[in-house]
Amino acid sequence: MASDKVLIIGAGPAGLEAARSVAELGGEAILLEQRERLGGTPDRERYAKLTHHWRDASDVIEEMIQAVSNNPRIEVKTQAEIKAFSGSVGNFEVQLEVDGAPETLQVGAVIVATGFQHFDPGRATQSYNYYTFPDVITLTDLEKMLREHNVVRPSNGQPPKKVAFIQCVGSRDRRLGNEYCSKVCCGVASKQAIEIRQQLPDARVFIFYIDMRMYGYWENEIYWPAQEKYKVNYVKGVISEILQKGDQLLIRGEDTTMGRPMEVTMDLVVLSVGMEPSAGTRAVAQMLGLRQNPYGFIEAGGAGGVDPVATSREGVFVAGAAAGPADLNDSISSAGLAAARAVAVVRKALALV
Amino acid sequence: MTIQEQKAVVVEKQRVVVDGVDISGHWNRMFEQRTIFEYTPEQIEAIASIAGAESFAYCYQCAKCVPVCPVDVVGNYGPRKLYRYAQTGVNLMESPELWLCTTCANCLRVCPKEVNMVEIMPAVREQAILQGKFVPPELQQAFENTAKTGNPLGQPQRKRDAWIAKADVPVPIIKDLGRPVEVLWYVGSYPSYHPRGVDAACAAARIFTALGIDFAILGKEEKDDADSQRLAGEKGLFEMLAEYNIATFNKYEWKEMVVTGPHELNAFKNIYPRYGFNRPVVHYTTFLVRYLDQLKPLLKHPVRKRVTYHDPCYLGRHNGEYEAPRLLLQAIPGLELVEMGRNRQNGYCCGGGGGGMWMDSFTAKHTRMRLSEKRAMEAASTGAEVLAVACPFEVSRFEDAMKSTGNEHVGVLDILELLDRSMRGEEAAEHPQPS
Repeated sequence: MASDKVLIIGAGPAGLEAARSVAELGGEAILLEQRERLGGTPDRERYAKLTHHWRDASDVIEEMIQAVSNNPRIEVKTQAEIKAFSGSVGNFEVQLEVDGAPETLQVGAVIVATGFQHFDPGRATQSYNYYTFPDVITLTDLEKMLREHNVVRPSNGQPPKKVAFIQCVGSRDRRLGNEYCSKVCCGVASKQAIEIRQQLPDARVFIFYIDMRMYGYWENEIYWPAQEKYKVNYVKGVISEILQKGDQLLIRGEDTTMGRPMEVTMDLVVLSVGMEPSAGTRAVAQMLGLRQNPYGFIEAGGAGGVDPVATSREGVFVAGAAAGPADLNDSISSAGLAAARAVAVVRKALALV
Repeated sequence: MTIQEQKAVVVEKQRVVVDGVDISGHWNRMFEQRTIFEYTPEQIEAIASIAGAESFAYCYQCAKCVPVCPVDVVGNYGPRKLYRYAQTGVNLMESPELWLCTTCANCLRVCPKEVNMVEIMPAVREQAILQGKFVPPELQQAFENTAKTGNPLGQPQRKRDAWIAKADVPVPIIKDLGRPVEVLWYVGSYPSYHPRGVDAACAAARIFTALGIDFAILGKEEKDDADSQRLAGEKGLFEMLAEYNIATFNKYEWKEMVVTGPHELNAFKNIYPRYGFNRPVVHYTTFLVRYLDQLKPLLKHPVRKRVTYHDPCYLGRHNGEYEAPRLLLQAIPGLELVEMGRNRQNGYCCGGGGGGMWMDSFTAKHTRMRLSEKRAMEAASTGAEVLAVACPFEVSRFEDAMKSTGNEHVGVLDILELLDRSMRGEEAAEHPQPS
C-alpha cells in the first residue's frame, strides 16, 4: 500500500522549511527531530544575528517553528531516532524510537535535512591551541558571547582591545580531508566583526584571510560595510601559529601583500571554523543507504548533476547542509525544492496504485 | 636565477629619534625593520576622517590601481600600497609619499571601490600644510610665487601680456577693446611667461586670427587658475585666486571662454561652479575642431612628420576629450599620427599634475626616473619624430625628458605649433618675423 506521507528527518531550518512546504503543497509531513527542541544548529549553538538582514536568529527560527506547529498536515516527533529503514519510493517502512518507545511508519518519500556540525579546531593541523589557550575561541563561541552582549576574554573576563579572526580553519585543507570551502565563514566572521565593533567600539578587529569569499550580496551587505563603516581591518595572509606572550596571544603569519613577516599581539583570537557533516547526517546516510561524498556529506545532484536535492536512492531527497556547506538561504531554497519533488513522487506513486 | 637570502634593507634618515632620544648624527643609518609587530588602523582612520579623504579606507587590496599608477611604473607606489603602509604604521601626513601622487586619476578609472585619490590627496595635503608638516620646498616656492605674483613662475604681473609682441598678429586686450567679444581667451601662466609656452600662445593667436575669430585676452588682469596648487593642498590660495578670477571674468561681456591648458579647463569648468561661476569654457582643441572645415584650407604646408600624441590627464581622463586633438593633428597634410601603447583613457601621466610640475627634484629622489622621462621613452619607441602635446606644462617637461633620455631627435610641439607650422610653412614658423 503506497503512502502519501513525506518523512522529513531533522528540524533545523531546512527541515522546518521542507515540512512547511510539503504542507503548503497539500501533502502530509512527518517531521522528526533528535533533540527535544526544534530549530537545529542555529538554536542549539545559540546564534546571534543572521547574515542576511541582520535579524535575530532566535526570532527567525521561532517564526519557522511557528509555521510547522499546530499545522494539521504536519506531525512533529521530537527525541526521535531511526532504527531501521526499508522499502522503495512510495512505500518506505521506517522503524523509529520516539522518546524511548518503538514506532513504525509508512511513508512515500523522505527528505534528509540532518545538517552539519562546526569543525572541531582541536583537529586543526596548525598550532592554534584551541584547547590550551582560553582566549582562542571559535565563531560559535563568539556567537554565544555576542548574543549575550558579553564579548570578553575568557582568561580574565575583560573586554578585548584587539581581536583577530583566522579564516579557513578546518576548510580548504587536504591534510584534514576537508578540501572544500565552507562557504559561510567569511561572511559570518565579517558579520561578527561588525557586531564586535557595535558592542565594543574601542576594540580593534582584524581578519586574516587567504581569500575573502563573500558570495553575492554578502559583498555589499557585509564585507563593504565591515571595512568602510565599521573599520574592520582585513589582512591577506592567514596565521600559521599562535603563541602565548605574557597575558596576550602572539599571532604569527606573513603579511602577503607587504611581503613581510608579522608577529602581532592580540587579546582574543577567533578561529573561523568551517562545516563538516553532522553525526546525524553520517548516521542517517548509513541507515538509508545513501551515497556520501569523500567528505561524508550526502551526495546530491542526480545523474546529470542538475538535480541538487536528489540522492542515490529514489524517493529520498536531501535538503540544506546535509549535502554540503550551505547558508540559510541555500538551505531554505533546497528545502523548498526537496518538498516539491517529494510531494510529486508520492502523488505519482499513489496514482500508479 | 636563484632566490637570494633576503638581505636586510639599510635606511638612512636625516633625523632619528629612539625612545624619545634624538640620536641624529650618531646613528642615522640603520636596518629597516622587516617584521610587522603592530597594525595601526588609527592611521587609516585619521586620514579617512578628513573631509574628502573618506574613500581612503575603502581599499580592499585588489591592486588594479598599482599597474596603472604612473608613479609605480618608475618607483614603488599606488593607492593600494599607501593603504597598507598606513595600516602598518606609516603616517602618510609626514611621508614623502604624500607628495608623489599627480592626481592623474588613472587609479580611480580602474578602482572597483571608488577610492578617489583626486579627492584624497588634496584633502590630506591641505591638512599637512595647515598642521605645519613637511612640504617640499620647491612646491612651497611655487605657492609663494602664486600668492605674490599671481603665477607659479614668479614673473611680474605687468609682463603677463608681454608675449603678444611676438605674435605677428594683433592680440586684443578686452579692457582696451571696450566692447563684447565672442571668445575670451584665457591664455594661462605658462603660455604667458615660459619661452616655449609663449611659442604656443603666439601660434594660437595666429590661428584664431586666421580663422577670423572675434577674441580678446585679459592681458595684465589675467592671473593663474591655481587648480594645481589646490590639488597640491593649497585650497586657500586657490580660493583667493578663484574669487579674483571670477570677478575679473564677470567684468566683461563674452560668450565663451577658450583656455590653452587642461588644468585651467578643469578649474573653470569643474571647480569654479562651486564658487558660483557657471559660464561656458572649452579647451582650445575642442574649440578649434569645430572650425575644422575652415581650418583645413589654411593648412597649406605639409608637415611630413611621424607624430605621436600625449593625452594630458586633465584633458582626457578628467574631462573626456580624446578625439579633438587627434582630429586636429590628422587635418595637417603630410602628418602621420601614430599611437603610443598607453593612449586615451590609459594615457601615461607626464608627472606635472597635482603640483608635480613644481616638485620634479623632490619626486626624482623617490623614483627611478621622472614620469616625463618614462613617457618620452615610450613616445620615442613609436618611431615618432614629434611628440605632440596639448597642455602648456608639457612642452618644457618633455623637451627636458627627451634630452635626458638620449632622444633629442624627437621634437616636442604643442598641437597649436604644429597647426601654425602647417599654416605658415616650416621656415616661417621656425624663424618668426619680428613684429
